[in-house]
Amino acid sequence: MGITKKYWKGLEELKETPEFIKHKEQEFPHQQTIEDFLADEKLNETSTARRDFLKFLGFSVAAATLAACEAPVTKAVPYVVKPENVTPGMPTWYASTYYDGVSYASILVKTREGRPIYIKGNKDFGFTKGAVNPQIIASVLGLYDSERVTGPTTKGNLTSWSKVDDAISADLKKAKDVVLLTNSIISPSMKRAIDEMALSLNGEGGTVFSHVTYDAVSYSAIREANFKNFGAPLIPSYDFSKAKTIVSVDADFLSSWLLPTEFTKQFGERRNPDGEWMSKLIHFESVMSVTGSNADYRGMIKPSEQAAVLAYILKGLGGSTSVASNLKDSAKKAADEAIASLKKSRKESLVVCGSNNVGLQILTNKINNLLNTYGTTIDMNNSVELFQAQDSKVEKLVNKIIAGKGPDVLLMYGVNPVYTLPNGAEFAKALKGIKTSVSFASHADETAALATYICPDHHALESWGDFKAKQSEYAIAQPTIRPLHNTASALESLLVWNGKRARGGKDSAVAYDYIKETFATLYPTSDFAYTTHNSCIASTVAPLTLAFKDAAVNGLPASGDVEVVVYQKSAIGTGIHANNPWLQEMPDPITKVTWDNYITMNPIEMVDGGFVTTYDQENGLNLATITVGNKSLTLPVYPLPGQALKTVGVALGYGRGANGEKIGKAAYQTKEYGGYVENENGKPTPIGGNAFLFTSFSNDTIQYSAVAKIEKAEGIYPIAATQIHHTVMGRHSIVRETTLDIFTHKDKEAYNPAHTLQRLNKDLEHEEAPVSEFDLWDAHPVEKIGHRWGMTIDLSSCIGCGSCLIACQSENNVPVVGKDEVRRGREMHWLRIDRYFASDEESTVGTRKDKNTFSYDKAELAAENPKVVHMPLMCHHCNHAPCETVCPVAATTHSNEGLNQMAYNRCIGTRYCANNCPYKVRRFNWFNYPSYKKFTEVNPAQDDLGRMVLNPDVTVRTRGVMEKCSLCVQRIQATKLSAKKDGRTVGDGEFATACSDSCPTNAIIVGDWNDLRSMVRTSSEDKRSYQVLEEIGVKPNIWYKVKVRNENNKELDKLQVVEESAHHGGSHGEKKAHH
Amino acid sequence: MKISNIQMLNGLRKLAATILLMSLSLLNFKAFSQGEALFKSKCATCHQTHKNGTGPKLFQVRDKWASGGAKEGSIYQWVNNWQTAAASDPYAAEVSKWSPTAMSAFPDLKKEDIDAILDWVDAQPDPATAAPAGGGATEGGAAGQMTDGTEEEGSIAWIWIVMGVIFIVVIMAVGGVRRQLNIATSEDPASQEKLTYGEELRSWAWKNKVYVGVATLIVVISLIVGFFQSLYSIGVVEGYQPSQPIAFPHDRHAGINGIDCKYCHNSVTKSKHAGIPSVNVCMNCHKQINGEGKPFAGEIQKIYKAAGWDPSGAGKYTGKETPIVWNKVHVLPDHVYFNHSQHVSVGGIDCKQCHGDMTTMNETAKVQPVEELNKIEGNIKLTRPTLTMGWCIECHGAKEVALGNGKSGYYDEIHRRLKKDKALYRKYLKDGKITVNELGGWECAKCHY
Repeated sequence: MGITKKYWKGLEELKETPEFIKHKEQEFPHQQTIEDFLADEKLNETSTARRDFLKFLGFSVAAATLAACEAPVTKAVPYVVKPENVTPGMPTWYASTYYDGVSYASILVKTREGRPIYIKGNKDFGFTKGAVNPQIIASVLGLYDSERVTGPTTKGNLTSWSKVDDAISADLKKAKDVVLLTNSIISPSMKRAIDEMALSLNGEGGTVFSHVTYDAVSYSAIREANFKNFGAPLIPSYDFSKAKTIVSVDADFLSSWLLPTEFTKQFGERRNPDGEWMSKLIHFESVMSVTGSNADYRGMIKPSEQAAVLAYILKGLGGSTSVASNLKDSAKKAADEAIASLKKSRKESLVVCGSNNVGLQILTNKINNLLNTYGTTIDMNNSVELFQAQDSKVEKLVNKIIAGKGPDVLLMYGVNPVYTLPNGAEFAKALKGIKTSVSFASHADETAALATYICPDHHALESWGDFKAKQSEYAIAQPTIRPLHNTASALESLLVWNGKRARGGKDSAVAYDYIKETFATLYPTSDFAYTTHNSCIASTVAPLTLAFKDAAVNGLPASGDVEVVVYQKSAIGTGIHANNPWLQEMPDPITKVTWDNYITMNPIEMVDGGFVTTYDQENGLNLATITVGNKSLTLPVYPLPGQALKTVGVALGYGRGANGEKIGKAAYQTKEYGGYVENENGKPTPIGGNAFLFTSFSNDTIQYSAVAKIEKAEGIYPIAATQIHHTVMGRHSIVRETTLDIFTHKDKEAYNPAHTLQRLNKDLEHEEAPVSEFDLWDAHPVEKIGHRWGMTIDLSSCIGCGSCLIACQSENNVPVVGKDEVRRGREMHWLRIDRYFASDEESTVGTRKDKNTFSYDKAELAAENPKVVHMPLMCHHCNHAPCETVCPVAATTHSNEGLNQMAYNRCIGTRYCANNCPYKVRRFNWFNYPSYKKFTEVNPAQDDLGRMVLNPDVTVRTRGVMEKCSLCVQRIQATKLSAKKDGRTVGDGEFATACSDSCPTNAIIVGDWNDLRSMVRTSSEDKRSYQVLEEIGVKPNIWYKVKVRNENNKELDKLQVVEESAHHGGSHGEKKAHH
Repeated sequence: MKISNIQMLNGLRKLAATILLMSLSLLNFKAFSQGEALFKSKCATCHQTHKNGTGPKLFQVRDKWASGGAKEGSIYQWVNNWQTAAASDPYAAEVSKWSPTAMSAFPDLKKEDIDAILDWVDAQPDPATAAPAGGGATEGGAAGQMTDGTEEEGSIAWIWIVMGVIFIVVIMAVGGVRRQLNIATSEDPASQEKLTYGEELRSWAWKNKVYVGVATLIVVISLIVGFFQSLYSIGVVEGYQPSQPIAFPHDRHAGINGIDCKYCHNSVTKSKHAGIPSVNVCMNCHKQINGEGKPFAGEIQKIYKAAGWDPSGAGKYTGKETPIVWNKVHVLPDHVYFNHSQHVSVGGIDCKQCHGDMTTMNETAKVQPVEELNKIEGNIKLTRPTLTMGWCIECHGAKEVALGNGKSGYYDEIHRRLKKDKALYRKYLKDGKITVNELGGWECAKCHY
């Protein structure tokens, strides 16, 4: 058979261009002479410059010589007087409380030899019940930030406390007008100190002292609406665990709205389809949020349509309002579903609205009143004390300062107005004109850098504190480390300046004594030490008699052709932790983008507007400019399925340090070989852009959406995302989901069919047999004897928040690699959370519509309003691990306890194992992250202080080895040892991995699978349990549980049926439940 | 497959362990007198036999009390609980004024136990005169044995070299004779004469290429094996003995004064670190013992400097503390996790197993070579150099774990589960015991994570 076709490698070859013919014979073209090559000035930018090579050569020879002579001397310095409760080598845990002005939680802090190294939720005490978010877990790294202000400063120069105290006290005495601008103070002691200050200052020579509360993300409208409806300006407690129907209008309560640490726990309790009942979440929003991705029904609306949604529901329930209620498409469908569901659940419902518009909050109150939810899901008595800001007061003060009529003394605590105000630039100019401005900030940030004095407050982990986040609870924060720097508690500073106390120095007890005093007045019969041990104490809630009265709805948001929404990402929030490299590198739960903010836009609109919708290592995204009034921001445009049409979203918290302020090493863009990307003024370039520009004061509140214009701008911007494809491409064996209806009424075979293969039985007939009965290998002896560590992950409960990922990073010393490396797919996270959209080709995630017409190309383009599944994925610890069989040096082996072990020192870095891993969970350590210059800015391990956060029980891996999830083997060994020492069995739930420990919804269960009564055993044998890629027979020790949505899905009803005959074509075990 | 590989490896290791065990003589524990044992465990942290320390010296203390006018039996009451004794006996009340600290209560000690302790104490000679002679003898003995060992090894090597040389000479002589014979018998001497020894060897090798090939292969493989074997036996840190800021004599503290190791290294049962004692632990005793007039007084002064203690007059703390920077002796690499409490509390391993007999160590601590460790009675005998991985896992392969004896809830449960797999259990029990290895002691993630 002769070959007649002509094959060619390129058009050049086909056309036989002169260049092609010239170069044809040269396999290695000599275009550059060696002299040219060596003379290239950029050569020293490359990874192995000639000088580096010589250095390495010289070092190797020297090292080899030295190593042959003698071992290096290691020093050991014991305590002079060992503290009684410290045993070197053993962790000490402290119960404490976290509050940064936005997030609040009861926490446990793990310290080793006096260094806090890990934070987790306190499951035993506090109303947050152990729930935390990524920011709280990562805040431990902030303690060791090397760019913190190390002592009091005057105009940027370090000075002593006594000098600063004298100067400020004198200024306060002289001042006519003193303003204390703070974030929401929930500390009873701090409030007492402020009241005392007001009392003594107001008395003196006509001084006027005022305290203004300013929250960058404000909930002022809820207080204002409740004042109008109930006569009480409070934020009530919400209980999502009691609501059978939850309707949320743009309230991202699982990630950023109000008190997510409490709400995730409550929500998680009711997402278990095996429970008594399962709640139904109907969510309306513009930008796909964590809450939206977990919704059973999701309506896409413009911010200006929120009023219409609320009015539609109100009218649907029989209420009346003059607000227009025109809805269409997904919003109408979701709103109809909401009305139907609300009618059924009545007072066991909850309607919340995330807008900071008073009119919208009044509409929400009206619906809740109509449903009679006050008293069941909404508790007006137990009010939330967070977010006390009254935006109108803030606006007044800001305008006064900008007009140059500012106070004589401005004290600023927990606020960064230059960054967070819409008119921050004008505020900055005016701030310079204020005689005495004092900041308590830990960094010389945008505002503090301009202040006369910085009187740095302790880090939260260094100081005493007390909190009343809710009426029902008083909480205490205790220090877990002696202050690292010459900082002082802000509470102490206020007391000193007020002449009430003297400075206490490094080991000051001023704040401690004062808080104890407060405690003694509040709880005269309780023990302070015992309360500190628990971290909190219940307090009585005085019942209020509140009656609902109607109020006028006006001042609703204006609408426009294109509207921009600013939102908070779960990692960066309002930008308080923008200098935290763990959080910067945490992939966003929805977009999976790291190290950047961007404009989110629906891919359908992007195609129309001529934007590229695909991006990868080489190809970036188009830039666009959003303009609101006279302010504009140019950012890359990210294709986000599920973004409401004619809206764009931009995340807050980015663009910190626009003038190169010292806010932390990791807060700026870095170059390919280290160092900062510098702007035209030689200052480092901030990461992303500041979206606070688009906020505005309107109708006495701060608004977080606006009418905008968007224009495509010149240029392509590289983007670093950890997951660049969108859907699961109909692969049924990865993600499984069903509806509550199918789950309750049909057999397991319908929604969670077992994988089977055909074989010949004794009578030589074909029969179907479960995959587990086919085996190439000898069974590994893990089935019955000893321990077998396993894990189950409930896809129904997982909300994709990312807490597990950060907890894993903190526990296992996972290096930070920076944007450039993430872009190359070299992120080191041992645990990743895959996010899958369901495209139009799939009726729901992972379900192929039709085998014959299914198109991968179409599947990749996710639907306009897709379904979402979050799936945490880590090493599956396969009992027949494909990685183990290909390792040429047996560096990865299997333990008799079911663990896939990794001996780093044995690994020679062939990467065969990663190549052979079906789950792609192995990470190759490409660089010497703790010392290579590329990572100086981003990797905390390169810093003498930052290094203190490392977990001493886990090796810091070196270059050239493979690493991966160890199932927190250090904790397994510690748990076993503790049991052995006590001579008892390992208790169920005693061993927890970092991920399971930190999961706010308890989606991850770990334990000893060989313990027949353990939670993990029961969970893995549940009818919802399945194993990912079970058909390839690797026998993992990790189980997933089918995601169940509380929705109606006709397509799925058709697909998920029990088949009558065992007639299946697939020889690869892909038994489908569809016809 | 990986499993069978590992099992084969296990088999080999077990064979090695069995051979090793057979060569072991029966363990013979020296019977300590009950009094001595009790003294060392209960009293020695504060009391010495012949010298006042934190507590007064105990030599002939019963006679002292009797002559001092104490009531009959009061001393036993005192040991059980000094407060009751002090309340009823004026002499005991006088004794209770002893500073710096009050005595702990020992309600468990019966009268006969206390007598046993004090009988033993009274039988002790004054160490001030007895100790140096004993110490010198031990040192001399150890050194002598070391030299013997080296000499023996040297002589064996010498014999091999001599035999090798003789062998080569014989081969060359025989070869020469053969060559001459060949030349003599050849028909064309010219062609033969051109061949040198090398060429002749080559042609001979070519003719017998199969045998030569196999022989070469065997030689090369055995050389490689030998090379690696010798690499394994390199003691990387054996004998490492860094200088220390304070010349701390372990023999004086743990040997002569009989202080329990755990008194100073007190986190050894709780934590992964045995812990270098903090200076306040030293000061418990050294507040009194200042070594005045002794050659080592300067060393004790260093403790005072570190603790910020001014010994003049009644003595007081100045608050000027300077931590002591010791040089670590036993240094494990960062990629190894070692937990002392696992071995001491759970495994019941004596400190001697790895650190040698510190009661006779009269210079700064050092990493004892494995030969020294093997000489100690009761130690599991090992062959690999100290602090190498081979040494660790050799011990893990030899040490028996007591299962299912009702003493530990943890091991009872493991035993219960293990019994379910009869075949495996029998396999484990082939050598008559369950070792650490069989419970995962050879798995990578036991120590590396």
